[in-house]
Amino acid sequence: MTVPRRGGIAFISCVAALLCFPGRAHAMHIADGILPPAWAGFWFLVAAPFLVLGMRELRIRSGREPRFKALVGLVGAAVFVLSCMPIPVPTAGSCSHPCGTGLAAILIGPGITVVVASAALLLQALFLAHGGLTTLGANLVSMGVVGAYLGSGAFLVARKVRIPWLLAAFLAGVVSDWGTYATTSFELSAALAGDGSMGSLFLPILAAFAPTQVPLGIFEGFLAAGAYRLIRTRRPELMDLPQEEGAV
Amino acid sequence: MTGVRDGEWAVKAEGVSFVYPEGTKALDGVDFRVRKGEFVAVLASNGSGKSTLIKVLTGLLQAKKGTVRISGRDIREYSSKALYQEIGVVFQDPDDQLFCASVEEDVAFGPRNLGLPEAEVRNRVSTALEAVGAIGLRNRAVHHLSFGEKKRVAVAGVLAMEPSALILDEATAGLDPAGEALMMRLLHRLNRERGIMVILATHSVDLLPLFADRICVLQRGKVLKEGTAEAIFCDHEMIERAGLRLPYISGLLHDLKQYDGVPIEGLPLTVGDARKRLLELIPEALIVGKCLWRDK
Amino acid sequence: MTELFSDIFAGRNDVLTRMDARAKVACAISALLAVLFSRNALFPAGVFAACLSGMFLVRIPAKWISFRIAGPAAFALVLVLLFGFTVGVTPMASGSFAGIRLTLMEEGVRRGLLLGARVLGATSVVLLLGAVTPAHRIFHVLLRAGIPAEWVEIAMLVYRYAFVLLEHAAEVSAAQRVRLGYSHPAKSMSSIGTLGGTVILRSIDQAVRTHEAMTARGYTGSIPFGPMASMGRRDRWVAISVPLLFLTAWLLVGRGQG
Repeated sequence: MTVPRRGGIAFISCVAALLCFPGRAHAMHIADGILPPAWAGFWFLVAAPFLVLGMRELRIRSGREPRFKALVGLVGAAVFVLSCMPIPVPTAGSCSHPCGTGLAAILIGPGITVVVASAALLLQALFLAHGGLTTLGANLVSMGVVGAYLGSGAFLVARKVRIPWLLAAFLAGVVSDWGTYATTSFELSAALAGDGSMGSLFLPILAAFAPTQVPLGIFEGFLAAGAYRLIRTRRPELMDLPQEEGAV
Repeated sequence: MTGVRDGEWAVKAEGVSFVYPEGTKALDGVDFRVRKGEFVAVLASNGSGKSTLIKVLTGLLQAKKGTVRISGRDIREYSSKALYQEIGVVFQDPDDQLFCASVEEDVAFGPRNLGLPEAEVRNRVSTALEAVGAIGLRNRAVHHLSFGEKKRVAVAGVLAMEPSALILDEATAGLDPAGEALMMRLLHRLNRERGIMVILATHSVDLLPLFADRICVLQRGKVLKEGTAEAIFCDHEMIERAGLRLPYISGLLHDLKQYDGVPIEGLPLTVGDARKRLLELIPEALIVGKCLWRDK
Repeated sequence: MTELFSDIFAGRNDVLTRMDARAKVACAISALLAVLFSRNALFPAGVFAACLSGMFLVRIPAKWISFRIAGPAAFALVLVLLFGFTVGVTPMASGSFAGIRLTLMEEGVRRGLLLGARVLGATSVVLLLGAVTPAHRIFHVLLRAGIPAEWVEIAMLVYRYAFVLLEHAAEVSAAQRVRLGYSHPAKSMSSIGTLGGTVILRSIDQAVRTHEAMTARGYTGSIPFGPMASMGRRDRWVAISVPLLFLTAWLLVGRGQG
């Protein structure tokens, strides 16, 4: 099944049409049932080692600090809430939502963030029909793994080259959001193309989601920077959390 | 209170001081004692050290100075398992305490931590939920409960550990009048029928005279006065200094007495008491309805 | 912000909520697999219809169902159009829109229908599962299925405190709104950052208090989950027969290319 070139414009406009539907755009989470079994399984396999790594870190750190698990659970709840915040995206005329994993990653480290994201994604799939069970692996890779590691990576690199921390937090938010969006587009294009023509779908999907996701990413950057600034000024002692063992 | 031997104090804090890391002196040489089976209220305005005292009494915070003894033993000698079978803590915000997904699971949390067999756990969950009148909530999700229900389930979660003392932080704060009365009657029943010692930290004064055996007034981390409700509320000046007030009904009678010269004997603290005293002053001919206490 | 979670229906007492959670999860997983492996649109559409009937059977409001299904349904429609216009060689219908000539292809429509039906089928399965199974029962099943207890503990805390934090976030954002915190795009950005920060700060404070409350009830590092009651005969029968039914239906209907 190939996508002819003539379909490019129609393709983009169709996907863009999706964003004009009332209610929440499902840009960040891949809906249940859309991935063929092989791809669904593949993304589970990709996510698994990161989850195992995160669980190991969780065990080690909660062994050392008894209240660590409560902290992780609560930060997980906060990520859940952040990713439920409907954000109006004027360019697309609809609502979308941030993913919050970039911010979480600079606070509790990317490894633990993957664990937290997996719990939040399962609950959203079960009780909000947001994302899905069969696409849990794919969503975890895009939002948890890519979002968290890119976010905290961007933060660390930015701090290394002495970019002020406010800007570093902003970059972490932007990079993690865009990374999530690009990964989701790749996952979708690979699954929808069916056979070897995924490259031809990747760019159209990326382009179709761009009107929502590009401003949303910048927005997520502001969210991360604002939140980081608030935490830093009100509770500077919390900033020692990730520096101690950021797991990167 | 004098002449009581050391062992008879179920809870005994002596010279307890606590300073928070940022420098706030929350407790300053507090002496606080409770007998077995007593109902004691710690009465104080906001920020006077009530919650800190509770945390020190329950080992959640370590006093910088002074000692806390539970049933005659220093609190530091207790394992957490043994300690929390002695004393149960109910926190002010039930959301702090109800962390499981369902009511049954949450109430079972404590008994399971004690390593009890499952049949006993279930039994305790039922008994505790029945005691607080929440047996019908057993299978509900915690976040679907009303605030009052959450408060009662939080008490059940602590009761399920069958402690000999119950320490509550603002047990009635945020409850509507009916919920407040329900909670106070529940605590009274647990205290009188089961002999559970109750320590209630609060700033609401109206219901206390009905239930508390003794009241301890705190101000800025120090004990201002300790005694029966009568002794506490007669000291009008001290009450005001502590940022508190008389129960409304007592306030009314106090003003009638002081400013209008109405000859009221003593200072009634409850509505029933006040009614009795006022009726004594009204000529019988003016009273149209049947007056129950006179008939008796 | 005040999203209606499907678990509001799970507290009811009806034929589906009474069923053992393990049986329900087994049914749901088999249905999901059958939908995922189906090669024609008919089979997932049948699963979708069955789940809808199930939801109507236990009187879940149609308004709520349509609200939750709207997103996936829109997505399904887009898939049909998307593939219809771009894939295939056999024209079905054509027309022009704003000067662009568009032709709907049969092969593309078919593929779009299959994918769309899969989305609707799978979403409705998960929706039904979530609407008739309380979260704590699902956590128990996960434990039984060998998911590490630490993970389940985290998931339970996320579930429990998401509601507390949602309420808190709604209050903070209302407080910002009534003091014109969102009156200008720049102000909105700053307000939303503060909102996100407050939610995280609150979550950290709540973690400290929750841990204290846990300690006061004997917590020593892991939440003890009780055993699950053994499955009744009827539920055991359901747990075996329904997946078999899905397998048979898949062999008969779902396997063939439509």
